[in-house]
Amino acid sequence: MFSHLIRSTRGRKNLASLVCGALAAGGLAAAGVSSALAPGAANASSHREAPLISGQPQYDTTDVYAFVSPDRPDTTTIVANWLPFEEPAGGPNFYRFADDARYDIHIDSDGDAQGDLLYRWTFHDQIRNGDTFLFNTGPVTSLDDPDLNITQTYDLEMMRLRNQHVISTTKIANDVPVAPSNVGKASMPDYAELRKEAVRELKDGTTVFAGQADDPFFLDLRVFDLLYGGDLSEVGRDTLKGYNVNSIALQVPSEHIRQSAGQPVVGIWSTTHRKSASGDWTQVSRLGMPLVNEVVIPLKDKDRFNASSPWNDADFLTSVTEPELPKLIEDIYKIEAPEEPRDDLVSVFLTGVKDLNQPPGVRPAEALRLNTAVPPTGEPKRLGVLDGDNAGFPNGRRLTDDVLDIALQVVEGELVGKKNDLGDAVDENDVEFEKSFPYVALPTSGSNGPLAEAAGNRSQLDGGAELTSGSATDDRTVLALSAGAAGAGVVLIGTGLAWWRSRRRGRWS
Amino acid sequence: MKRATRSVWRLGAGIVGLACVLTAAGAVLGGPDEVPTAAAGAVAPGAAPGPGVRTLQAHLRAQPRDAGAWASLGAAYVEEARVSGDPSRYPRAGEAFARSLRLRPDGNAEALAGRAALAAARHDFPAALRDADRALAVNPYSERGLAVRIDALVELGRYPAALEAARRADARRPGIPVFTRLAYVRELRGDTKEARRVLELARDSASTRADIAYTATALGRLAWSQGGYDEALRQCGRALKAEPDNLEARECRARALTGKGEHTAAIAEFETIVARSPLPGRLVALGELYEVSGRPGPARRQYEVLGTWTGLARAGGVNPDLDTALAAADHGDRTDALRAARAEWQRRRTVHTEDALAWALHRSGRSEEALPHARAATATGYRDAAFLYHRGMIERAAGERAAAHASLTRALALNPAFSPIGAREARRALDGLEAS
Repeated sequence: MFSHLIRSTRGRKNLASLVCGALAAGGLAAAGVSSALAPGAANASSHREAPLISGQPQYDTTDVYAFVSPDRPDTTTIVANWLPFEEPAGGPNFYRFADDARYDIHIDSDGDAQGDLLYRWTFHDQIRNGDTFLFNTGPVTSLDDPDLNITQTYDLEMMRLRNQHVISTTKIANDVPVAPSNVGKASMPDYAELRKEAVRELKDGTTVFAGQADDPFFLDLRVFDLLYGGDLSEVGRDTLKGYNVNSIALQVPSEHIRQSAGQPVVGIWSTTHRKSASGDWTQVSRLGMPLVNEVVIPLKDKDRFNASSPWNDADFLTSVTEPELPKLIEDIYKIEAPEEPRDDLVSVFLTGVKDLNQPPGVRPAEALRLNTAVPPTGEPKRLGVLDGDNAGFPNGRRLTDDVLDIALQVVEGELVGKKNDLGDAVDENDVEFEKSFPYVALPTSGSNGPLAEAAGNRSQLDGGAELTSGSATDDRTVLALSAGAAGAGVVLIGTGLAWWRSRRRGRWS
Repeated sequence: MKRATRSVWRLGAGIVGLACVLTAAGAVLGGPDEVPTAAAGAVAPGAAPGPGVRTLQAHLRAQPRDAGAWASLGAAYVEEARVSGDPSRYPRAGEAFARSLRLRPDGNAEALAGRAALAAARHDFPAALRDADRALAVNPYSERGLAVRIDALVELGRYPAALEAARRADARRPGIPVFTRLAYVRELRGDTKEARRVLELARDSASTRADIAYTATALGRLAWSQGGYDEALRQCGRALKAEPDNLEARECRARALTGKGEHTAAIAEFETIVARSPLPGRLVALGELYEVSGRPGPARRQYEVLGTWTGLARAGGVNPDLDTALAAADHGDRTDALRAARAEWQRRRTVHTEDALAWALHRSGRSEEALPHARAATATGYRDAAFLYHRGMIERAAGERAAAHASLTRALALNPAFSPIGAREARRALDGLEAS
């Protein structure tokens, strides 16, 4: 409209009245003009309004798992996931590990809250034709298929530490291929084959994998609405269903990581470091136990927690001994909070449970603690230790452990005589896990997934896949964000859930 | 502008102002989102990572006590305004932050940092700095707090403090928001090499289309400002591949084409851009291209639109920003330009306010008075051809012939595309200096 006016030969007055007319009609379509009414709306060269939000989830850890391998009980499997909410459909979408990051798994073999072993993954992009917008140029049938335009490989180093200083570094893997994003049936007719190719056994008896996987975490994010007095009549749906993550997995002989057969408990956590502009490495994410950063750590301390190390976890001790969550539940739902200080939570979240997964002389710190000597069970129970199955959470964490329900029940006093049956009514992952390493399920294909379902299976472009912005913006993300923002998200599950379950099961009516 | 027409503009401005007021008064969660169509077109899908306004509104209708979501909604409004240039988003953002703070008065770093970002967007930089500091007191790692703090210090002209803040932010939260700001602080100090290196880090880590477009455009703009027109075209082409409709990237391409002497292509590109968003800098660039192509009529019409823009702004009770002041000094009402530049300079002393004031004074015939300001504008080492050209012309008018020769030569050597008309004037002035 404006250009037409500008290029027309009308006089000024005419232009003026036309513009006024347009504006009067409420059509602020001459956006520029309306902008003039706001200082700063016009992008002055002097004030560069750079984005404040940047979608970079490739540095965010979502979950860490550690368990004695069910099919190889002399080994321990560790899985760590990054890049939550990978939407497979509506793309094709592909998701990469960052190449300016260090993805680390720390192992503390003696319970002193200092890593003794460090596994470090670093990723490298390989682009065949220089066009970074093109993921593949035809159907991909192997990891070295020339049709795969963008591939990633990784190096894996194992470092031994003493007093938090590296004393030796061994490169145990070099240029191992990453299993790519599953962009769809047309592009990747046999994705399972690509997964298989990405599993590599190393010389020292370690097996490794990195690549896309179905997000193994299962929960109904709507439980977090309880925090605001929400209505729980609708929980029971796995809101992570159909989303993928980028997984790193490691299967290592347990004797490599534990202090001795007599002290078989190891502490495990992950960190992500990002290279700063000055060339230093900044820790931007840290995760061991599930839900700690959502449930235990107050919102204002989340970033600080992500930047901290277990050695200093005394800083967050009161968040554990005097947790906010039960008080919130008490406020809203009148379920009495257990008495403080909560030493029961200290044992679950910080030291390990005595006679199960607590190393001698343990220094309290947030880490996943696994007793590698507890043999795996044939029939894992989703509530793990709470249900008498000592091979599960909080002794390590298996993919099938229902950590949301466990954490909630523990926080509400399950271990101190306040028996409860809280949860989010999502008891298992929507996809079955694999029977062997890396155990995580194959990623949801780009031909499927939440967006595709919502849109009624859209057809994929055959062959060539192009980049789309990998930021999911549907309501699940929001819930996830506000869940994170809730800090005490899980909280609410408390009574609402109880109420919801009672309705479903007709127990407390 | 003639008095008669001006009153017509006043009327228009009143209507626009009223429209804005009406929009702003709408409840934050009120009915359907009436995004101006042009603005809507300017927002590429997926432009802002994180949840969009609508999603958050839907969530908040169901969960109005979610303080975190209110802060996110405010941030989403600020981001929308940044991308679309629609100021009606600001009051809504302010209301969302206020609600968030009412729900969680203590330890609410998100709402404080969001409010800081809003103040910066409204050019209230002292308030932006205050709120950023408050947010950082609660959460020293707040990415938004760290980023806005750098913005505020830059816009207040506190460059050493800005560099310090950017270094600290880089150590705490390396990432695209901080990298882009760190690069700009470096650029303002004349370290364009380091600015480019840091922007390349940002671009290489970008994975969303919005981030790729923003960082590649920033690199293109930087290359253009140093006379690297081919490099600018390459970078902006990359940005446009990610977001074909990105106006900043298109403007960057148009300016690079200008630099390569491809005026016809540059004119076509600018015509498309001003049709969508007639910002002062763009109107001037197009007008000057018409002028050097021997088309005074169309050129004059661009400057007229510019005049109406300023009139509208002033009638709306808004001081025209520095871009508008500079444009007016060259192609519009010089009295207006001087008033706007002086008002801004009273508020904050930055290289940009010094330059705008210097140029507005010079164009009003007060070159002696302008000289110290022109020199202050270039004192940080910032390598900007327009600043050097302004300084050179002012030096010449003040009788400082050798200095004028040096400044004008530098301007033309650095980036002769800074302004087609300015470059022509600079060459003429140099010829004159060399002939006498």
